[in-house]
Amino acid sequence: MSQSQKIRIGTCALLIFVLMSCATLEQQIDAISPVKVSDAETAVKVGKTLRDSFRDITEEEEYYIGRAVSALILSKYAVYNDNRLTQYINTVGQAVVVHSDRPEIYAGYHFLILDTDEVNALAAPGGFIFITKGLLKRCRDEETIGAILAHEVGHVAAKHGLQSIKKSRLLDAFVLIGQEASKRYGPQELAQLTSIFEDVLADIVEKLVERGYDRKFEHEADKLGVEVSANTGYDPNGLVDFLQTMVDDSAGQTGKGWFKTHPSAKDRMDRVQKQIGGMEAIPEVPSVRTSRFQQAVQSVK
Amino acid sequence: MRKLSRMNSLLGCVFIVLVTALIAETLMVKVQTTHLRKEPKFYASTITVLRAGEVVETMSAADGWYQVKTAKGTVGWLHSSAVQTGSFNLTATDRTLAAKATADEIALAGKGFNKQVEESYKTKNSNANFAAVDRMLKVKVSRDQLLKFLKEGMLGIYGGRP
Repeated sequence: MSQSQKIRIGTCALLIFVLMSCATLEQQIDAISPVKVSDAETAVKVGKTLRDSFRDITEEEEYYIGRAVSALILSKYAVYNDNRLTQYINTVGQAVVVHSDRPEIYAGYHFLILDTDEVNALAAPGGFIFITKGLLKRCRDEETIGAILAHEVGHVAAKHGLQSIKKSRLLDAFVLIGQEASKRYGPQELAQLTSIFEDVLADIVEKLVERGYDRKFEHEADKLGVEVSANTGYDPNGLVDFLQTMVDDSAGQTGKGWFKTHPSAKDRMDRVQKQIGGMEAIPEVPSVRTSRFQQAVQSVK
Repeated sequence: MRKLSRMNSLLGCVFIVLVTALIAETLMVKVQTTHLRKEPKFYASTITVLRAGEVVETMSAADGWYQVKTAKGTVGWLHSSAVQTGSFNLTATDRTLAAKATADEIALAGKGFNKQVEESYKTKNSNANFAAVDRMLKVKVSRDQLLKFLKEGMLGIYGGRP
């Protein structure tokens, strides 16, 4: 057999191997299909880090934590029932969301107005965002609402609520959750997990409603709020306007809602102004934004 | 000699295609539903809707979006926040999870804080207003409503920054 024939035979053998590999690969790709529960339980480890921090909370878990935190907020506050205003707030919210870094979360972002004169906005994990009637009264235009909602979306995107959960609590939950292969929990395991779940919610509600997020989280949300509202096309000075209103109001309203849970409005305003100073100018605000804002909020003014 | 050279070129090409195919990453949808879009933009129209747990193969990536191929062979774009990366081996025979598991495993298994835990929590905490939460989730803004809102207000692609 000549050298050339040897090469040809070798080449053919390699080609056959390559084609067979392709066929195998194709079968594997075909095998990629929606995960059934039975399949899900067969998932194998791929050398990834085991769960040990808030970053390892899954999207679905974040959603269920957020639902329960929201259910507790909605047991304290009544909903302000104005369908037109609710739809408007949700539309401004979605406009901001699609320009954020985390536009897709488990069940999407949802916005609701609380029927209280207290001035506040709350962002629960999983994209449940609340804004009070009292806060809406203080909003001058759509730019302000856009900036406030962008700030709240920033809290969700950066998982500030989940970071309020005590680490030991989370580790207990992770160990318990990892123990059983079956999807449904047994009675004893469920009781233990429910108890941890209650404590997790208490950690978050305490931060959200009682003590407020750490100062650094508020500044981070301000920074994200400015970036995202500007990306949407809003003038980020809307946040400055709102903070100025809060500086003016703070003398008479310390110790309640927003005043209790947020750091000094003056300090935040200075930081936000500095950030905006380095950005390119925003085009003039079209009048339609002002008119649709005025129509939507007339019931709270 | 020329034939040999051609054969080598052919082999080289096949090798490159094979290696590219082998390193193609798999992604799993981690949100309840996500839209497979025609273009890498939220404004782009929807080809199909994918659900949590569905696994797709990446083809390319661009500015926060992945071009992917679904199990049915449909090609489109998914936003990176809707998926998680990894190797999801669904043919394994090991049916046990370790005492501690990875986030991927928990997500695949639908375990963790889930509907069952919520139901259990509800029985102990009847004051929690889940009915209001469910009503909150019903408020929707369609793609057309959002586009109209952005267009009228000269926002997003109609006037804002890109």
